[in-house]
Amino acid sequence: MAVEYDPAIIGKVFDVTDPVPVTAVAVRDYCEALGETNPLFTDEQAARKGPHGRLCAPPSFAVTFRNGRHFYQHVPRFGRSGFDAGKDVEFIHPIFIGDQITLSSHVKEIYEKTGRSGSMVFVVIRSTLGNQLGETIAHIDHRFMHR
Amino acid sequence: MADNTSRTFEDLNVGDPLGPVQLFVSRDQARKYARACGLDFPRFTDDEAARKEGLPGMILPGNMSLGILTKLVTDWLGSGGGLLTRIGTTYRQPVQPDLTLTLQGFITHTQSADRTAEIDVWLENADAERLVIGTATVQFPAR
Amino acid sequence: MSTILDLHSHSEASEDSRAPVEAYLNWIKLRRQERPLDGIVLTEHRQFNRHADYRALEDKYGMLVLRASEIETDYGHMLVFGVNDDITRRFDFADVRLPAQQVIDEVAAMGGLVVPCHPGRSNVGLCEHYEKRPALDNVVAVEILNGGSRKGENERSAALVAKFGYRATGGSDSHMVSLIGVCATRFEAEVGTIEELVHELKTGEYEAVDFRPRPSPIPRAIPVEAK
Repeated sequence: MAVEYDPAIIGKVFDVTDPVPVTAVAVRDYCEALGETNPLFTDEQAARKGPHGRLCAPPSFAVTFRNGRHFYQHVPRFGRSGFDAGKDVEFIHPIFIGDQITLSSHVKEIYEKTGRSGSMVFVVIRSTLGNQLGETIAHIDHRFMHR
Repeated sequence: MADNTSRTFEDLNVGDPLGPVQLFVSRDQARKYARACGLDFPRFTDDEAARKEGLPGMILPGNMSLGILTKLVTDWLGSGGGLLTRIGTTYRQPVQPDLTLTLQGFITHTQSADRTAEIDVWLENADAERLVIGTATVQFPAR
Repeated sequence: MSTILDLHSHSEASEDSRAPVEAYLNWIKLRRQERPLDGIVLTEHRQFNRHADYRALEDKYGMLVLRASEIETDYGHMLVFGVNDDITRRFDFADVRLPAQQVIDEVAAMGGLVVPCHPGRSNVGLCEHYEKRPALDNVVAVEILNGGSRKGENERSAALVAKFGYRATGGSDSHMVSLIGVCATRFEAEVGTIEELVHELKTGEYEAVDFRPRPSPIPRAIPVEAK
């Protein structure tokens, strides 16, 4: 049986209501947790001589911003459990301490395939991150696998 | 550790490697990452809870693998002004902590018109099985 | 004069690959000594790229680029060589539960050939299905060597080949540029078209070949520990 879902969900945009602040503590904790020692992300003095002229978060910090609960109330779930299957991230603008990040997401695609785990349904969510200046920070395609 | 090399577009050749670099991610570090990112769910912090979900044990969050591969690229870029503009990852197998992982990559394509390069990157286990694969795009400033 | 082809590869047309076809060919050219391929077969997931035209790339790189598909059936994944309009009208390649016996028989009748791939893989390989259900009829060849296999999977495929006497192919199953050609198939005859490939797979002499790099010592790195 082909996977069933309401086709109206594809492309419907959901916004997170409250911007998320980027704090020095959050970036520092992230760097420590990842073992990140690049001075562009950890040393203010060194970062001033870098391409951005100030300290910024490592690029992968962008994927730590997630949709609020209200998004997942509307996105269909399939099977008993879901797993992160991968991401495609386009980095457009760096994230700086003090930024306020907003998130806008929609379901880009739903498809079914089979693999070592058996039958799986993939839900691809496209998120766009923006900052308080109206700049686009990143586009992220999250692929979630349900089985 | 970040590379002190100032890598430029002119330094690149298709076939050049990134790494290999060996990495050991402990349980504590995996839990620390999960907490730092608000991902302290049982599958990322507890072996028994993870097994109940059909996993072999506690696993690294996918975002952490992406972060590790991103770091491979940004370390390789060094301080020459090159930027990571895109990375795509596929999580083919769960990555467990307390195991030695190897990170590697190869430059697969360069484009002089926009001074970009494409890089295959991956994270493999001791059996040389690629647990996470990906491709990255880097861009270098004009001279 | 023999022909060596990677019979199983995915370009960026497959949703889980980011490899452009030209990058594949350039990589083969770069690694010619280790992987002496004459060409590749693109086996995109659940689709057949009817309109793709790789002749310009073939001319530029002096290599063959043929098109096929990887479909999903009730007996696992299978490669379909010699896809034509009759076949795509008859079977919806996007269906993940195609009836394997019907596909094998009808594709053959319509001039193509179905080759079960990675048979040793769990859930989507023939071996596991044969443990629970009758063996399929009219299987000519299976993929004995798959470049994306995990420990033990190719060995299971080899046991299946030995038991059933199937012919055996090899392919990289690459989804990234640097893996193209790590496994391939060497044909004794010259193969220059998809029709010749189907003919040789059915009646010719060929074997799977393994060009996977042998692991080399990795320099030790400082382990990163949580503070």
